[in-house]
Amino acid sequence: MLSTNSIYIIFFTTGVTIGFGHCIGMCGPIVVSLSLQLKDKPSTWPHLFYNIGRTLTYGFLGAVAGGMASFTRFAENFDGLQKGAMVAAGVIIILMGISMAGWLPSSVIFRAAPPVGAIVNKTFSQLMKKKKHALMYLPLGMLLGLIPCGPVYTALIAAARTGMEAGSTASGILSGAGLMLSFGIGTIPALFVVAKLTNLRWLKHREIVYRIGAILMIAVGIYFVWKGLTF
Amino acid sequence: MRENCVKRTLCCAGILFLGLLAFSTFFPGESPAAEVQPDCDIQSGGCQKTLNDRTIELEILPRPVKAMSDLTFRVRILGAPLTGAPSIDLGMPGMNMGRNHVKLEKNSMDVYEGRGVIVRCHSGKTVWQATVNLPDAGKVIFTFDVVY
Repeated sequence: MLSTNSIYIIFFTTGVTIGFGHCIGMCGPIVVSLSLQLKDKPSTWPHLFYNIGRTLTYGFLGAVAGGMASFTRFAENFDGLQKGAMVAAGVIIILMGISMAGWLPSSVIFRAAPPVGAIVNKTFSQLMKKKKHALMYLPLGMLLGLIPCGPVYTALIAAARTGMEAGSTASGILSGAGLMLSFGIGTIPALFVVAKLTNLRWLKHREIVYRIGAILMIAVGIYFVWKGLTF
Repeated sequence: MRENCVKRTLCCAGILFLGLLAFSTFFPGESPAAEVQPDCDIQSGGCQKTLNDRTIELEILPRPVKAMSDLTFRVRILGAPLTGAPSIDLGMPGMNMGRNHVKLEKNSMDVYEGRGVIVRCHSGKTVWQATVNLPDAGKVIFTFDVVY
């Protein structure tokens, strides 16, 4: 049996390889959307907070899976929430695309939207504003961390297994959370590379790219909504 | 003139990159290897393959074999006995899904069993593969369809 430390190292390494091999495909469009939506603003802090939020959610999911000590029981309970997160992510990306293209000002989008709760409304209104606070990307990352994803499920199987092997529920929660946090941290470098590559501040005439990017964001958002409803 | 050319090239590169990322969303992890077809009808019963002087049979229960549910993996070895218990690695052809390892334990003379879960992939692809690792003897790969 592997020691706790070696499991964390293994899952950090798994996160790094999965990040460059799989997450770029899955979370890449989200990261590109965030980068494009930031336009000329510095992107390091927003992307850092997005990744911290995503990793914290993985840690939370790992704690639950470790505490339950059963992946299938965990999946039954979180299935609806994860599908909802995928739909929500799609809607957010579509709104970002519409707002970025300048087809509808963010204030109009949110005035037209049904009441979704003051905090959510305020957070996403902030995200749409021209002057954004980097911390606003933390709750966004936390929400987007819930998106269903094969390799995350695979890591959660391991988290549940550590819970089974742990002596108590508390140690199962801790080991599950630790394993998923290690995995999440491992996925950050790949998504940071994508974020930096899609920061177009160096490009002088980038409005055309932003326009095309907005259309792609809307297409990606629609795909996410569709997948969330049919997955 | 030259500056315009550089701008246009950079612009095209940016658009191309965004396009590739959009493509990767709709076909995540896609690679030529992802075209692999199932060679085993695991939903109907056990599948057999031969490796050197041994026949390896894989059976997954309960049927229908569904993703996101607890499954029993049963491996029967016909031929020379193994030096240790085999194990199974679950994955998708041409797609890195992380390490999903199933430990098997000896159940009877030539039968090994273990519990595992096949996860669901958001690409919607249902072709999975089980790599049965035989200690000191190599490995065999079974490719099959699962129910989502």
